[in-house]
Parts: sequence; structure tokens; C-alpha cells
Amino acid sequence: MDSLTLTVWVIRLAFLAALYLFLALVARALLRDIRAASRDPAGALGRLVVIASANFPTVGSVFLLDAVTTLGRDLGSGVVVDDAFASARHAILTFRGRGWYVEDLASTNGTLVNGDRVTGATPMGFGDELQIGATRLRLERGIA
Amino acid sequence: MTGSALPGFPRPVPRWRELGLLAVVAGALLLGGLSLGTTRTGRLALAHPAGLATYLGALAAVHVALVLAGRRVDEVLLPTVGMLGGIGLLLAERLPQDLVVQRVGSATLGLASLQLLWLVLALAIAGLVAIAVRSDRWLRLYKYSWAALGLGLLLLTFVFGREVNGSILTLDLGPVSWQPSELLKVILVIFFAGYLAENRVLLADARVHVAGRLTLLPAPYLLPAALMLALALGIVVIQRDLGAALLFFSVFLCLFYLASGSKVDVLLGIALFLLGFAVLALVFATVRERVATWLDPWADPLGTGYQTIQALHAFARGGLLGTGLGAGLPAVAGQLPIPAVHTDFPLAALGEELGMTGVVAILGCYLVIVSRGLRIAAGAADDVRALLAAGLALVIGVQAVIIAAGNLKLIPLTGITLPFISYGGSSLLVNGLVVGLLLAFSDRGPVPPAAPRRAHRLGRKKA
Repeated sequence: MDSLTLTVWVIRLAFLAALYLFLALVARALLRDIRAASRDPAGALGRLVVIASANFPTVGSVFLLDAVTTLGRDLGSGVVVDDAFASARHAILTFRGRGWYVEDLASTNGTLVNGDRVTGATPMGFGDELQIGATRLRLERGIA
Repeated sequence: MTGSALPGFPRPVPRWRELGLLAVVAGALLLGGLSLGTTRTGRLALAHPAGLATYLGALAAVHVALVLAGRRVDEVLLPTVGMLGGIGLLLAERLPQDLVVQRVGSATLGLASLQLLWLVLALAIAGLVAIAVRSDRWLRLYKYSWAALGLGLLLLTFVFGREVNGSILTLDLGPVSWQPSELLKVILVIFFAGYLAENRVLLADARVHVAGRLTLLPAPYLLPAALMLALALGIVVIQRDLGAALLFFSVFLCLFYLASGSKVDVLLGIALFLLGFAVLALVFATVRERVATWLDPWADPLGTGYQTIQALHAFARGGLLGTGLGAGLPAVAGQLPIPAVHTDFPLAALGEELGMTGVVAILGCYLVIVSRGLRIAAGAADDVRALLAAGLALVIGVQAVIIAAGNLKLIPLTGITLPFISYGGSSLLVNGLVVGLLLAFSDRGPVPPAAPRRAHRLGRKKA
């Protein structure tokens, strides 16, 4: 077997090996991804479940939250709250660092978290209750 | 509102995983080029270094564009597609260049140059779509318009199309011939995803009781989707594009199962498909001939069975490790053994030169694309996006399976392309679009900003 044949052999097998190296790395990336997803069930960062409502949204409906979600009567809001006591742009939910914060957007009737009036950026935990007028929404961990 | 600055320019987000995988892709493709060049010239040489460099440069450019755009999109899809496209480029470089010759301006381009051109354009489309598409509203709001556009395109081919190999598939647009059925597959996925997501509650609840635990869907809810499917299938069948028909139907069944979760309906769909196939075989001689060739290609070894037999021989010659790039495909009397090797039989050529090991790796890449698509679907915020992501990934996966199985004589051969590897402008560009949309739908949103340094605690009096 001359050196050229040997070289070609080695390069051929190295090419095939590189293909499998790539697949192995991809498989590792996919596995890590799935593990991370199962450790952290927040496929979405969180969701709002409607537990009491004046008009719309209907009780029981669920909103998956973006990192920045606005609430209000305005139809452009992330979560439209059709409530006589809701302002057009009422409140904003933001995910910062590792948790949720709610801010009142200078609404007429204010925003309550677990019954307390919100001033400034107020942290919200999963399970806390947000109240706008007669509408009550519970913040829950998102499920992928 | 807090005083966070409006982002005039997005902040770049590093994508180390993608960069690492792309480096492995580059290494593998360089080894492949080295293997091909060395086999060909008899000394250590890289085949077509300029083309390989251009391709890797294009991949790197898309990577940099995604980093600069600062969107947190999937990091595995681009390298996987890059690997498949690179293997296709090596194959195009390896085959005789006069298989396809096209004049572009004053230059005459051969197979590899054209493939490189299409690949770079496809990557550009994927990158642009991944960066530009921020919302799927324009897809879901106008689903009927998209459907009409797709059917119109097909009809256009029907009227103005050019007949190639007994099928009317290509539309000549200036110097470029275009196969609208490729684009139609994307449009159908958009339509079905929008339609099924909109009616998902109905599909799950409004069922007609038949007998025992067997319930079926009431027909009226399915009518628009069924009508659309029938129209698409009808036109495609009249055009003798059986591969596309099989692809459309399989993807529809997959999406339907994802939306409704009903196994009975899917089994019913498969039964309907087999019935339809039997009718087609009775009506069209082409279909009968395809099936006969599939069952026994040796009945007419120099005529209809020729390509299939040559493909089987190619796989057999390849064995486990293959003959090596550039060492296979001995010409018979100066002719290529498989005339359509660059479009319909690339897997046979790769099976000969890379062996079963290489073919399994290539099929593994398609599996990665499908699994990524389903993962994106599982993480999607709403049903439309989930069905879109799953459908788009399945279009690529199912198409690969159909043509791979056809090459291996597992199912009757149908003339569709092996995604990202086969030569063909429309196929590459449309698959680039699919990858771009998948990337766009995988966006995980902006990086959450850091926690505010002084948050007001509930129930604590301000000092």
C-alpha cells in the first residue's frame, strides 16, 4: 500500500469521523437544551390566569406573558382588560433578572398586588394576585 | 415606565454554540474537499478551494448577521443546514460539470458554480427572513390569500409550464426555470397551520359518535382544509408530480394529528390515501409504470428500471465506508450510470462514495432539523406558531424521507429533491426560506434586563 492510498484512506475516514463529531456535538446541544427546559419549566416566562372578571377576559382564560407585557383597556395592550375601572394603559409587567415586576402606569384607579396598592416597580412572585378594577389575575409559572 | 432606553440598534448577542458547530462544519467540509481533491489529482490537494471558501464565508456572514441582529434564535439549525448544503456542494463539485450548464450574462456556469450561487442565495434568504420576520400575523391573517396565491402559481405552471420527463413542473422566468410546487409546500403549511389552529377547539370537541368509542369529525369543519388539499393534490396529480402529492398529504396528516391528537382520523386519512393511490394507478399509466418499476426494476433493466437498478448498485458498491469522494460512479461507455444523479439520486451517489456510514450521518442531520422544529413548536407561545414550526420542519424531514426511500427502493420512486443537497434553484431557495422562518419562530424574545437595584418591597414603609 503506497503512501498516497494510505493518505486518501486517512482523509476519507477523517471526513466521516468529522460528520459524526458534528452529530455528537449537536446531540449534546439538543440534550442540554431539553435538560434545561425540564429543569426550568418556564417555556414562557410566565402566564396570567383570570380568576375574576368584570366583562372580558373570561374567567379561566390564560395569557402567556412576553418579557414585557402591558395591561389595560386599550386594544393594543398585551392583555386587554375590559373593565370599567381600568385605564387605557393601566399597568406593565416586566421580567427582569429572575423575576416579575409590575408597575402602575399612572392609572386612574390604581393596581393592586395581593390587595396592596402598587407604587414603583413592585416584584411579583408566581401565585401572586394582580387586581385591576374588579378583574383579578393570578401570575403563574409558564409551562412549555 | 422605568427609564430604559429605546433600542435604536439591537445589542449583539453572542452565539458561541452556533460558532463552535460552524467551526466543526468548516473542518468537516475542508476534510471532504481534501479527500475529493486528493483522490482526483493524486497528490494532497483541496478540490475547488474558491468555491468552498465562498460557501464557508457565506455561512460565517449569516452567523455574524444573526449575532448583530441580537435576536435569540436557534443555534443548531444553521450549522446543520450548512453541513447538508456543504455536502451537496462537494457532490456538485464531484459530478461532471456539464450536467447543468447555464449562461449568466457572458459567463457560462457549470454545475458546481450554479449550486454555489443558489446555496449562497438560499443562505442569504434564510438570514434575512430570520432577522426581518418578527411576527407571524401577516402569515395567519391572510391565510386564504396565501392559499389562493399558491394555487394560482400552480395553475400558472399548468398553462405556461414546460414539460420535463413527462411532468409539467417548471416555469421559465427569463433565464431561470422555477418549480412552483416547491413554494406551494410552504404556502400549504401556512394555510393548514392557520386553519387548524383556528378550529382546534372544534376539532377536539365537536365529534360525531359512530360506534363504541369510535368517534369521527363532522365533515363541515374539515371542508375548507379538505377542499384546499383536494385542489392542491388534484393539480399536482394532473401534472404527474407524485412526490409533491405524497409530501403534501403526509404533512397535512402530521399537522392534523398535531392539532387534533386523534389517531383514528389519521388512520382514516392513510386509508383514504391508499384508496386514492389505487384509483390513480388505475387511471394513469405513469403511476402504474412507477409501481411496476418499484416492484421489479429488473423486468426492464435497460428502460424504466435502469435508474433504480443503478442506484441499488451504487449503494452496494459503497458498502459500509464507501469508495471515498471522487472514487465512485464509474461511467458506463462514457455516460453517467444515473442520468438524474444531481437532482433525484444524490443519496445514491453519496451512498456509493461515503458508504452507509455517511448516509446515516446525512439522515441524522435531517432528524436534527425535525427535532429542532418540534422543539421550537413545543416552546411556541400559541397554536399557530407551534403548528407552523412543526409543519415547516416536517416538510423538510418528510421530503428527505420520501426521496431517500425512493432511492433505496423502499417506496416507488418519485421525482422530488433531497433538501439542501440536490441541485435545483427553486428547491434550495424555498428550503432557505423554510429555515429562515423556523429561525424567526424560535426567537426567545429579548434578553430580560437585570433586576432593578432598588425594588420597592410590598408591605414595607418607605424610609
